[in-house]
Amino acid sequence: MVGKEHVTMIPSAPKTIWSATVNGQDVQAIAPSNAILLDVLRDEVGMLGVKRGCDLGTCGCCAVLIDGEPRLSCLCLAGQVEGQEITTVEGLADGAHLAPIQTCFATHGGSQCGFCTPGFLMSAEALLNENENPTRDEIACAIEGNLCRCTGYQQIVDSIEAAAEIKRGDAPAPSPASDPHPNPHPEGPDEPSMPPGHAR
Amino acid sequence: MAGGYRQQPGASSGEVRKDGKRVAGKQKFPPPGSGGSRPTMAPRDLDSIPESVGGKEPQPAGSHIHDRYRTGTEVGKPRALVDSHAKVTGQAWYGDDVRLPNEIIGKILRSPHHYAKIKSIDTSKVEALPGVLAVATGADAPNTFGVLPVTKDEHAMAVEKVRHVGDLVACVAAVDEATAMEALNLFEIEWEVLDPVFDPRKGLEDQDEPIHWRGKYHVGTTNVQKRVFQEFGDRSLVDDPTASSHGKWRMEGVHHGFTEPHAVVAHWDPNGRLQLYTPQQVPHYAHRALSTVLEVPMHQINVIRTFVGGGFGGKSDPFPHEMCAAILSRKAGRPVRINFSREEVYWINRGRHPSYIEVKMTADEEARISGFDIDALIDGGGFASFGHVTSYYNGVLATAPYELGSFHYTGARVWTNKPASGAMRGHGAVNTRCAVEVGLDEMAEQMQVDPIDLRLANLLPPHSRTISGFRITSNGMREALERVRDGSDWDAKFRQMPLGKGIGIGCGFFISGSGLPIHWDPNRFPHATVHIQIDMDGGVTVHTGAADIGQGSTTAVAQVVSEVLALPIEMIHVRSHESDTSPVDLGSYSSRVTFMNANAAIRAALDIREKLLNAAWEMLGYHPDVLVLNDRRIYYKHDPAVGVSYLQALHKAQEDKGSLISSGAYRSPPMGGVHKGAAAGLAPAYSFSAYVAEVDVDVETGLVSCTNVWAAHDCGKALNPLAVEGQIIGSCHMGLGQVLSEKMVYGRTGHLQNPNLLEYKIPSVHEMPHVTPIIVESSDPEGPFGAKEAGEGPLLPILPAVVNAVYDAIGVRIRELPLTPDVVWKAISAKTKSLGGIDETELPSPRLEHSSLQATLVARGLEHKERDRRRQRSEDTSAYVNGVLFGFDPDRPLEDQVDGWKSAVEPVPEQLAELGLAGKAWLKKEQRQMGGDQ
Amino acid sequence: MMLMPPFNLHHPKTVEEACELAATFLANKESFDWVAGGTDLLPNYKWHINVKTHVISLANIPGLDTISMHEIGAMARLGALTTAENVHPLIASAASKIASSLIRNNATLGGNICLDTRCFWFNQSEDWRRSIDWCHKEDCGTGSDCRVIPNQNTLCVATYQGDLAPSLMALEGTIHIIGPNGPRSLPVDEFFQLDGITRNVLQEGEFVLKVTFPENVANRTGSYKKLRVRESWDFPEAGVASSWIPGDPSSLRVASTALESIPRSHQEEVDALGTAFSKEHIPQLSEAIMKSIKPVNNTALPPRYRKSMVRVLAKRSLREILGD
Repeated sequence: MVGKEHVTMIPSAPKTIWSATVNGQDVQAIAPSNAILLDVLRDEVGMLGVKRGCDLGTCGCCAVLIDGEPRLSCLCLAGQVEGQEITTVEGLADGAHLAPIQTCFATHGGSQCGFCTPGFLMSAEALLNENENPTRDEIACAIEGNLCRCTGYQQIVDSIEAAAEIKRGDAPAPSPASDPHPNPHPEGPDEPSMPPGHAR
Repeated sequence: MAGGYRQQPGASSGEVRKDGKRVAGKQKFPPPGSGGSRPTMAPRDLDSIPESVGGKEPQPAGSHIHDRYRTGTEVGKPRALVDSHAKVTGQAWYGDDVRLPNEIIGKILRSPHHYAKIKSIDTSKVEALPGVLAVATGADAPNTFGVLPVTKDEHAMAVEKVRHVGDLVACVAAVDEATAMEALNLFEIEWEVLDPVFDPRKGLEDQDEPIHWRGKYHVGTTNVQKRVFQEFGDRSLVDDPTASSHGKWRMEGVHHGFTEPHAVVAHWDPNGRLQLYTPQQVPHYAHRALSTVLEVPMHQINVIRTFVGGGFGGKSDPFPHEMCAAILSRKAGRPVRINFSREEVYWINRGRHPSYIEVKMTADEEARISGFDIDALIDGGGFASFGHVTSYYNGVLATAPYELGSFHYTGARVWTNKPASGAMRGHGAVNTRCAVEVGLDEMAEQMQVDPIDLRLANLLPPHSRTISGFRITSNGMREALERVRDGSDWDAKFRQMPLGKGIGIGCGFFISGSGLPIHWDPNRFPHATVHIQIDMDGGVTVHTGAADIGQGSTTAVAQVVSEVLALPIEMIHVRSHESDTSPVDLGSYSSRVTFMNANAAIRAALDIREKLLNAAWEMLGYHPDVLVLNDRRIYYKHDPAVGVSYLQALHKAQEDKGSLISSGAYRSPPMGGVHKGAAAGLAPAYSFSAYVAEVDVDVETGLVSCTNVWAAHDCGKALNPLAVEGQIIGSCHMGLGQVLSEKMVYGRTGHLQNPNLLEYKIPSVHEMPHVTPIIVESSDPEGPFGAKEAGEGPLLPILPAVVNAVYDAIGVRIRELPLTPDVVWKAISAKTKSLGGIDETELPSPRLEHSSLQATLVARGLEHKERDRRRQRSEDTSAYVNGVLFGFDPDRPLEDQVDGWKSAVEPVPEQLAELGLAGKAWLKKEQRQMGGDQ
Repeated sequence: MMLMPPFNLHHPKTVEEACELAATFLANKESFDWVAGGTDLLPNYKWHINVKTHVISLANIPGLDTISMHEIGAMARLGALTTAENVHPLIASAASKIASSLIRNNATLGGNICLDTRCFWFNQSEDWRRSIDWCHKEDCGTGSDCRVIPNQNTLCVATYQGDLAPSLMALEGTIHIIGPNGPRSLPVDEFFQLDGITRNVLQEGEFVLKVTFPENVANRTGSYKKLRVRESWDFPEAGVASSWIPGDPSSLRVASTALESIPRSHQEEVDALGTAFSKEHIPQLSEAIMKSIKPVNNTALPPRYRKSMVRVLAKRSLREILGD
C-alpha cells in the first residue's frame, strides 16, 4: 500500500457553541464546528429519538423538521442550521397529549420495530401541516425518503390517512394514556347479557 | 360490593365485636385501583367468544382445546402493539441509545484481505496513542463460539487467519470516536495472503488451505461445510412423465436490511458481573456464547435486550462484536459502546445464502406430482452460522403442501471468502420454494391446466404426514388458494391479459417453531417458559425471555394473559429485557415465539386463573365450573349479580401467601422420523400461504412493477389481526425486494460492491403494490388459541407469484433472481431474437386452452375439499400419510407396500454419477474414511 | 457511526466574502471545498473521500436561491424547484425525479450540477477502498490504477449521475460562475470537462452562482426520461432530456446523463437529421444517440443494458415533446 491514504481523525475540529431552538427550547451545545446535525442532536442535545440508520441519507430515520421542513439530519452540517427551529420526534407530543400522527401509527400498525418510526413521523407531520387531506399518492411522495423494512409501508399510509382525519376534525382525538382512571374498580354487573330477573 | 373495601389497619368502621369492643383497625377506603380505564365491567364480548362455548365467534375449522379459556377480552382483536407508544415518542431505547456514565467508544479493526494468515500483530503504537484505554486481539479470546453447538467456528477476533474482507482482526476502546478511529490505523500487522475462494462451485473442489478445518469430519480438503442427501418414496414413479419441469436457478444473496445497525454496550459492574446491552433476537444464545468466550459462568452475565430495530434473522447469532465490547470493557474497566456503520452491518451479514438451485419435477397421467428432485448449492461465506440447518431446509421444507410420489434432495453448503450467510426470514425455504412453485406453473402449462386447480388437486390434507415424515396438523392451504383465486378475479385474468400485464400464483409452507431446540441441554428443557406474578395492586407482571423484535411478541403474550384472566391489557406488564429476570427463552427465530411463548403464557395464566377461581369459590360458594371470568369480575354463570371483583378474589387468594406466582412452560411433543436429519424441519405446526400477484412489465426496458397482491396466509388463529396483516404486508415487501431488486453484489475481485442502502436496493414506498391481506384461520389444535406463525411463511409465496406473473405477462421464464430490469430485458431480447428478431411489442402473450386433464383436476379438487373439511373438523380421524393419493394404505408402513418405496440419507454408489451440482459434494470422502483425523 | 473527519467550516455572508476566503486559502495553499446542501459532499467526507482542510458553506449567503423561468440560483433547493410555480416544467419534472423528497429538501441546483462523479470502486469507505488498494480517482497520491478499466491510469471513468444537467442543456441554459478572478459565464454544454476527476471547468476558488435561460425558454416543451431501479433514492442509470419549440426543428436539443464521465449534448446527432423533426425521425435519432455513448461498468446496472436503454429513453422523450 502506498501514499497518504488515511484521513486523520484527530485532533477534531475546534469546538464551538452551537445554538438553535430544539422542540421549542433554546439550546446551546458545545460541538466540533464541522459537526453533523444528527450527531449534535443525539450526543450533545440528547434527542436520542432521532435515529441513525445509514448515515448517508438513504433510510430517513434521522429526519427532523428544520423550520417546518422535513430534512435529513445526517446530511446536514449543524453549522448550516444554526439558530433555526428544529423539531424532533420528542417535540411532536403536547405534554401527555400525543399528536394524532403518533397515536395513529400505534393504532394502525404504522410502527413495528419502531426504528424508522421517528423519521416517518416527521415526514408525515410535515405533510399534514401543509395538507390535511392528502391522497395516498401524496402520502407516498411525502414518505419516499423513508425506508421501512417491517411494514411494507401500507399500514404507515393507513396511519397517516387516519391522522389526517383527526387533524381535520373528522375523527376524535384520543385522550392521553396517563389521564386518571376514575374509579377503575368495577362495582358490579353492568351487563347486557345478564338474564332478566336475576337480581340477587 | 357497594359497601367499599376494607383493609387493615385504620380507624373504626363503627362495627362492634361480640364483647362490645370496637372492631379495631378496620376502615373503609376507596379500593386500590385495579387498573383499566373503564369504570364499570365491560359486557362480555360474545362476538369474540367461540361458538363451542356459547359465544358467537364462528368456528368453521372446528373447536379448540383453549376455547373454554376464552373470555372475549383480547384474542382476535386488532390491537396496537403494547410498546407502540414508546416507539412513536422516541422513548424506545435501541442498541445505540444506551448511554452509561463514563462510557467509552469501541471500534473494530477489519480485514482488508479476503483470506490471509495473521503472522503478527503489533499493538504498541495503538496503546501509545493518548486516549486509547484498551486494545484487544484474537489472542485475548481464543475460545470458539457459534449459534449451533455442532458448528462453533467463530472467534471474537481472528485468531489465526481472516476469512473475508471485513472480518474482525482487533479492537480498540478510546475516550471518543475520533481517537478510536485514529487508533485503528496504528496496528501493525504482518499478513500472509492466501488464495481466496468466491465461487461456491469452486468450494466443492479440494483446496490447499480450506477456510475451516473440521478434523475427521472434513469432507476431503474441500470447503464443504455441510452436505445433505435425502430420498423418499418411489423413484420409479418419475419415469415416463406426462409433464416435467427442469429449472436451473441462480439466486443472489440478500440481506435483512433492518434499519437499526448493530450496536452493543458492555459494562462490567463493580461486582464483577457483565451487563451487556444488545439488540438481540436470541439473547440466550448470546448469553451462552459470552460465557464460553469470556470464561465466566452464565449467572455472572446479564444480557439486556434493548429494543430491536428489526431483526429478520440478522440479529440471531451471537456476534463477535458483542464479545469485543465485553473484552474491551473488562480491560478498560469502563462501559464500552460499539455501534456499527451500515457497511459493518453488511460485513457481519448472515443474510440469505446466494444459491444455485436445480429442480426437476414430474407429473403423471393423472396430474399427480410423481417426483421432486432438488439440488441446492448454497454459499455460506466465511462461517457456519445457521448453515447446518439451512442446508436441510433448502430441501425438506419443499415436502409440503403437495402430496409427492417421490422426493430426492441433495444439498451442500460451502465456505467461501465472503461475509457469512445465515438465517433470514423464511430461512432456507425461500429460494427452493420459488423454484418449485415456478416448476409447477410450467408443468400446469404443459398439461394445459389451470395452475391453481393443479395445486388444489394435489394438496396434503389436514392431519397427515409428509413424505419426509413431518406431522401436519391444521392446514388452511386449500382455503388460502380458493380465497386468493376469488379475491384476484383469477379466472377472468389468467392467461387472458395483454402483453406486459401478468398474473401469477405461488404458495408457501413454513415451520411454526422448530420441533427441536438448538441447544438440547438439559435434555428435557422446555422451549419456552413464562412467569406471572401478581401482587396486591392487581397488576400482572409477566416475565418472558421472548425477544420482541417488532413483530409484537410482547403484545401477543400480553394478549393471551389478558384473555385468560379477563383483564384489560393495560393491566398486563410484560418484562422481557433482562436475562436476570426473564426465564430462559430460545429467542425469536424459526417463527416460534407466538406458538411456544404464548402457549407457555397460557399455561402460566391458567395456573393463576385456577387460584383466582378457587378463591372466588370460597367466597361465593359456587364451584369454578359455574363461575365466569369477565372484565375484572368473577361471577356465577346463572346470576351475574352474584360475584366478586377480580381484586377481591385476588386478595382472597393471596391470604397467607402474598403475591400470586405461576410458571408455565412449553415443550413440543415428540414427533417425526428417525432418519438422519429427520429433526430438520420438524415443527409442532406449519403455516400455509397462497399469493396471487399482478405485474406490469415494460417490455422495452425490462422494468417489472408489481401492482397488486392478494395474500392469503393460514396463521391458525389471528391473535392480533392488525399485527398479522402487518406481517403479511411486510413479508410481501421483503420478498418483493428479493425478487425484483435486492442483491449482495460481489464484483470481479470478490469485494462486496454495495454495502450501503443506496446501492443495496430495498423497495421504496413507490415499489410497493397494493396488498390485500387475507387471514385464513385453520385453528391449530396445539397452537395458543389455535394460532400458528405469521412472521416468515408469508414471505415465501411472493417470489414465485411474481416470477409466474412475469411469465404470464411476457411469455418468458426467467430463473435468475433478482429480476432486475437488465435481466428481464436480456431474456426478452433472447426471446425476440429466437422469434426471428421481432419487436418486443410483438411478443406473443401466453394463452391457455384447457386439456381434458383440467376436468379431472377440478373433480379431484372438489373431492379432496370435502375430505379436507372432514379431517380439519375431526369428523374423519383416520390416518393419512403422503402416498395415499398414489394408492397406498396409510395404516401400513409405505416401505412394506411397494418395492421401490424407500428412504435414504446417503447416496448409493451407482447414484453418484448422476448427482447434481451440490450432490457432487458426495463424491468426496470424509477424512475419517480416508484414514485422516487431523 | 460515520464520524465527520476534521475540517474547518466557514460561513461567509456574501459572495464577495466567499471569494475572499477562497483567495486566502489559495494564497496559503490550503485545500478547501464548497458546500451547498451537502447531500453529495457530506457522504463523500463520511467515506473520507478527498477531505479538505476547509469547507466554505454557501448556505448563509442570501439571494442565491432565486427561482424563476429565466433564472435559478445555485442555492435553490431541489425540493423548491419541484413545487415552484414559475419554473420551467422540464426543470420541475427532472427535479422531482431526483433522489428522495427528504434529500431534495437539502440538495441544491448548484450541488446537483457540480455533482462529483460516481463509481462503485470509489464511493466506498476508507476501509473498503484500502481493501482494493485504492483507485485512480482517489485523490491521495497513491498512484493506483483504475479499477473499472485496469491498466490505464490516465483517465478517470467515474460516471456523472446528475439529473438536472441534460435538462439545463436542452433548455439552452447558461451557467454563471464567480471566483476570486471575477465572474464569467458559459453555456451549460461547455461547463463539463471529460475526465471523472476534473469533471468541469471550475477553476480553484470558483463556484456556480446561477443558471439562466434564454428569453424564449417558456416556449420550449421538454421531457426528461430517467432509468432507475427504484422510484426513490436512485441515481439515474441513464437519463435523456429533450426539448424544442414546437414546430421549429432547429430548436431541437437532446442531452443525456449518467452514461459517461460528463453529461453529453447530442447536438451532432440532432444536426445530422437535417432541418426536419417529426415522428419518423425518432428511431433514427434515438439509434444515433445510443451509438454515440460508451458507458462503463461502474454503476448498479450493466453498461450494455444502459446503452441499449438510451435508445428507449430517447425515443420516449422525443415522443413526449412531439405530443405523441
